[in-house]
Amino acid sequence: MTNQQTAPASAHLRNVCKFYGPFQALKDVSLDIPPGKVTCLIGPSGSGKSTLLRCINVLEMYDSGEVRIDDQLIGYDSPGGKPMAPRRLREMRREIGMVFQQFNLWPHMTALQNVTEGLERVRGLSRAEAQSRAREALAKVGLADKESNHPSHLSGGQLQRVAIARAIAMEPRIMLFDEPTSALDPELVGEVLGVMKQLAAEGMTMVVVTHEMGFAAHVADRVVFMERGEIVATGSPREVFDAPSDPRLASFLQGYRERNSLDF
Amino acid sequence: MFSFQTIIDNFPVLLGAARYTLLISVLGCIEGLILGALICAAALSPKLWLRRCAALYVSFFRGVPLLIQLLAAYYLLPVIGINVPALVAAVLTVGLCAAAYLAEVLRGSLNAIPKGQAEAAAAIGMAPRDVWVRILLPQALKIGLPAIVNELILLVKASSLVTVVGIVEITRMSQSIAAATYRPLEIYLAAAFIYLAINLVIAQAGRILERRLTV
Ligand SMILES: Nc1ncnc2c1ncn2[C@@H]1O[C@H](COP(=O)(O)OP(=O)(O)OP(=O)(O)O)[C@@H](O)[C@H]1O
Ligand SMILES: [Mg+2]
Repeated sequence: MTNQQTAPASAHLRNVCKFYGPFQALKDVSLDIPPGKVTCLIGPSGSGKSTLLRCINVLEMYDSGEVRIDDQLIGYDSPGGKPMAPRRLREMRREIGMVFQQFNLWPHMTALQNVTEGLERVRGLSRAEAQSRAREALAKVGLADKESNHPSHLSGGQLQRVAIARAIAMEPRIMLFDEPTSALDPELVGEVLGVMKQLAAEGMTMVVVTHEMGFAAHVADRVVFMERGEIVATGSPREVFDAPSDPRLASFLQGYRERNSLDF
Repeated sequence: MFSFQTIIDNFPVLLGAARYTLLISVLGCIEGLILGALICAAALSPKLWLRRCAALYVSFFRGVPLLIQLLAAYYLLPVIGINVPALVAAVLTVGLCAAAYLAEVLRGSLNAIPKGQAEAAAAIGMAPRDVWVRILLPQALKIGLPAIVNELILLVKASSLVTVVGIVEITRMSQSIAAATYRPLEIYLAAAFIYLAINLVIAQAGRILERRLTV
């Protein structure tokens, strides 16, 4: 199984800047995302977590700096060069799975079709092959019996698990999650986090923007704290949660604990 | 006395004239949908000049009465050296006008689709063509279908305006028969029945399509 094609990828950001008009959402961000590990991004609302995540698969085009998947530059032809050809970008995106807060399942397709669509159109598999792979992916997220449901007939937790199946069926080498449980009722969060833990245990490279500090504390290999478009602190969950060295991080965690009156 | 016999006698002639109504409606509808999709694409383009052109087109063809457009096409085209039969000019004009309305319906429908739909497709590496054909258009069609059906029904009724360029379709034909037979009530009722029948077919087709697209 472990060959160049399916081995987990690393990602590297070097001095990445992103502007929305005059507003700078990312300020010279540098970050290494190690292969086969779970990196959690935490931070206050508007700190640039989603923007950073979306620069990794170039759903947002960064303005300067470098983003690499393994050693391959994504977004631009060469450092500081022209934007990369759309076809090349699409090829690189096949390796990068993404899961969104709002699921973004396609409502006019069944759960199975949501998963086969990319396999057929992007991977070029035959319908039969695509279906058998899609069924494997759905089984993996525990939804083998829901394949013919349309999204309107699935619960939030099920929707997000189909979305994860849609991403993993493409056999990505790195997975991006943008607050995958934030739109869920509390009792449905567990089933999604469970699937993510299983993926992590299989050695998938994962970058997870989350407000679930429990998940970050227990599953992350590394926690990255952002504020105002900058990475303020990084470390193991222990370093970040038990002994926050940065005062801004400490006050962020303090606020979180007060809101949730939890211990972790 | 209401005379059914008048209706029965003149119905074949009215149906004959209905061919023009149908021809203009069907061709105008096809032209309107194709051109409307293109104008909608222009209206959503990142290029400012394309958006401007689309906006100009829509305001012109929506803002000027179809009657005037038909007359303008009929009298203007020969002046600028284009000699086409009245029927061709009529079909083209009706289609151009329908395109303006349909473009707006499509644009509204596409705008109603959450941005995440196309993003999810782009994120797995789907090509723009597939994103349009597989993800956006089916959803836009479903959202816009009731409004599109509305436009098509309006188009069938608006086709009666082509009489101003001398085409004898249902309305014009019923006027002359009514004048000749002194039986306006019967004749116009028959004409109304034919319009109604055509539009019920369109409405029903829309309903079936809608059910197909609904899950
Ligand atoms: N498309 C956009 N246009 C303009 N400003 C934007 C856009 N997207 C994000 N921003 C701004 O950039 C900043 C960072 O946004 P981002 O979505 O990355 O934050 P976040 O950390 O993910 O926040 P949240 O926890 O609320 O999701 C915010 O101040 C936001 O208002
Ligand atoms: Mg966000």
